[in-house]
Amino acid sequence: MVMTTHEEKMRTAYFRVDDTPHIVVDPEKCRECSVRACITVCPADLFVPLDDGSVLFNYEQCFECGSCYFVCTEEGALQWNYPRGGYGVTFRES
Amino acid sequence: MRIAVCLSRLPDPKTVEVDPITGEIDASRTLYVLNPADAAALEIALELRAPGDRVTALTVGSEAADSVLRDALAVGADDVLRVWEEDRATTRPLVTSLLLATALRTEGLPDLVVCGARTLAGGSGKVPALIAENLGWPAVTDVLELSLHAARVHFQRRLGRGGRSEGEVTLPAVLAVQADAARLRYATLPGIMRAERAAIPVRHLPDLGLSPLDLNFPSPTFRTPMPPYARPREVFIPDSHLPPHERAAQITSAGIAKRSGKVVEGAPEELADAIVAFLAEQGFLDRSA
Amino acid sequence: MTTSKTSEHFDVIVVGAGPAGSAAALVTARAGLKVLLIERGEYPGAKNVSGAVLYGSAILHQLIPNWWEQAPVERHVTRRELALLSPTTSVSLDFQSVAPSYVDPPFNGFTVLRPKFDRWFAAQAEAAGAFVLNATVVDDVLREKGQIVGVRTRREAGDIRGDVVIACDGVNSWLARKVGLQRQLRTHELALGVKEVIGLDESVIRERFHLDGSAGVAREYIGAVTGSVHGGAFLYTNRNSLSLGVISQLSSLVEQKQRAYELLEAFKAHPSVAPLVRGGTLREYSAHLIPEAGYSMIPKLFTHGMMVAGDAAGLCLSTGIYIEGINYAIQSGRAAGDAAIAACERREFSRDTLSKYLDLLRKRHVAGDFHAYRHAPAFVNSERLQNLYPELAARGSEALFRVDGNRKRKLLPLGWRTMREVGGRPHQVLKDIYHAGRAYLW
Repeated sequence: MVMTTHEEKMRTAYFRVDDTPHIVVDPEKCRECSVRACITVCPADLFVPLDDGSVLFNYEQCFECGSCYFVCTEEGALQWNYPRGGYGVTFRES
Repeated sequence: MRIAVCLSRLPDPKTVEVDPITGEIDASRTLYVLNPADAAALEIALELRAPGDRVTALTVGSEAADSVLRDALAVGADDVLRVWEEDRATTRPLVTSLLLATALRTEGLPDLVVCGARTLAGGSGKVPALIAENLGWPAVTDVLELSLHAARVHFQRRLGRGGRSEGEVTLPAVLAVQADAARLRYATLPGIMRAERAAIPVRHLPDLGLSPLDLNFPSPTFRTPMPPYARPREVFIPDSHLPPHERAAQITSAGIAKRSGKVVEGAPEELADAIVAFLAEQGFLDRSA
Repeated sequence: MTTSKTSEHFDVIVVGAGPAGSAAALVTARAGLKVLLIERGEYPGAKNVSGAVLYGSAILHQLIPNWWEQAPVERHVTRRELALLSPTTSVSLDFQSVAPSYVDPPFNGFTVLRPKFDRWFAAQAEAAGAFVLNATVVDDVLREKGQIVGVRTRREAGDIRGDVVIACDGVNSWLARKVGLQRQLRTHELALGVKEVIGLDESVIRERFHLDGSAGVAREYIGAVTGSVHGGAFLYTNRNSLSLGVISQLSSLVEQKQRAYELLEAFKAHPSVAPLVRGGTLREYSAHLIPEAGYSMIPKLFTHGMMVAGDAAGLCLSTGIYIEGINYAIQSGRAAGDAAIAACERREFSRDTLSKYLDLLRKRHVAGDFHAYRHAPAFVNSERLQNLYPELAARGSEALFRVDGNRKRKLLPLGWRTMREVGGRPHQVLKDIYHAGRAYLW
């Protein structure tokens, strides 16, 4: 199958999930943000807008690409880190 | 005290991809992990270790399996040992447990063996019990918590449907712990560097005083049993001796009565007899056998 | 258990086992130095994504003779295509060669799968004597009186000292920014690449792309493929899979509120691409950032006790004609390694000593390439080149090749008319011709 949904794409990637998130979003700051570039830019679609105006981040399937970090316009809204060594995405590409 | 931990390196089931056309597993996409229950066993062993105690990690496998022993060294295991017969592809639980038990004997028996209760994705959980059988030691399976009191281990086991049971066992013993019993610590930098450089000792069959013939267990044979049939079920009939309002109450509750279990107490022999009798009664055992 | 500080000391600590890091570790280890190569993935390559074509096979050949005979390579690239797409049309420049420099060793370039290739390359550094430490994140450097004297890993007792730190920690390059060598990157300097590896039978690939044996093709696309988003796409042939993806300027994705993976789907559905991928199976989806701005985003490359190489140094040449990174990563990693060797010989690790790194980058044409093409990245990402000219080329060609009984126009009037149709203005075109000239010609 060549044409795939985003969910099907994500199923092909492998993640070793750590107990604690490596990227932490400050929902208060996100409530004030009108740009919300993270939501569209994330290639894994991990930023979810909530009804109360804040943003939820699901760290488990993160590619660690850094896009959200660079597009974020709210000072301090995003605490960005790589996962601990050995955790996170593992590409195989074979 | 000496504690032995048995580890296994396994393909992560999430990475086992089967080609839909050829039906073959694509080995190039498979990633391996330390079996999560074994990781919990390792953590428990490290937590039990008092000053002067030693934790030894063992595995059965080819050179690739060294990775789980390095994981163990990285978090602080004192010794490691890999057991293998070259040219072998895989081992069945009978072989694995024989190799582990023999290695424990030749290296000097520990006081306690901690294993993972079962391997990821449908492991049978036989290995710990078979090791215990081989050593003639008691085995405690599905352990969630344990604590050491001199030569006795107090444990809590997980039963079905959220049940728990507690008990004590006198060492030496084999304990099989569940994957969520503990979370393996994260290795320190000196630990992981030391592990990376360590030479991993290996024992082959002659080192253990075994011959390849010793591993030739008959293959399991499968016979087709009777197809399952529906067991007769009693239809609810209200008790005619009861007064009408009680019968009405029985009917409106649709005859649902609390399911009950049966607790048998007594000496181990009596308990075993009771279990066999129960299984026979329920049609699981052939009485003549 | 020993949880105390490790007292171990290395001559060289390399952070990141991508092509830059492994090259640096390889040359320094070969020189007999005590080298630590730290990788945060569970194996080298586990976090690494690119197209991927390794151009400049000759560069790696200098380090590891006949490397392609032992490395996991896919196909040697003998054919390149640059296509301008409109929604219905594709106009392309198709280059194909059996000239010796393309089909004979050391070849010109190879398609590779990074998790396999990077793992192999790091193993070469390990075989040369470098200590490869996986699954360990480096969070910061250790400083002493203005000198970088080691790194801080995210593990207990995680400080480790070394005379020279070579940061090859990729596009996000936390180390270069923490040390103040790199400024905060801007979203127009970065592109998000989303990629798929699509499994396809080897014989189908050969037939479909007219390839002999292990020859391969690299195609790049600009125009309607990314809609109004600035960017492009690529499609490379591997042995029994295709690597394809869409590269979008980060700022442009934000402005257009477009999702990169939807652009990827549109790319695969484009009439000129769909027949090439038909019947394939998705094997893996991935994403990564690309430092696209070239010369203007290259940081200060060294300071007391530290150098920066590879993507961390912004050394990815993205000009529309070239999208090259692995070759510059290897070149820069090697140059940093050579500079480290010289510093270790003199036991002197100041900025002045390490400036040899920059000399080597100049001598080996890395600095020169980026300087020469310093105007190209902005030109490639300009509005008109992205959207107007592909449309112009497509419509012009449609008109040029259309036979419908109407009068055939000569090229100049045809071009003029098409330009007016798509809304191009003559003075802008002249300006762009100048910009194109500045970017590519002189």
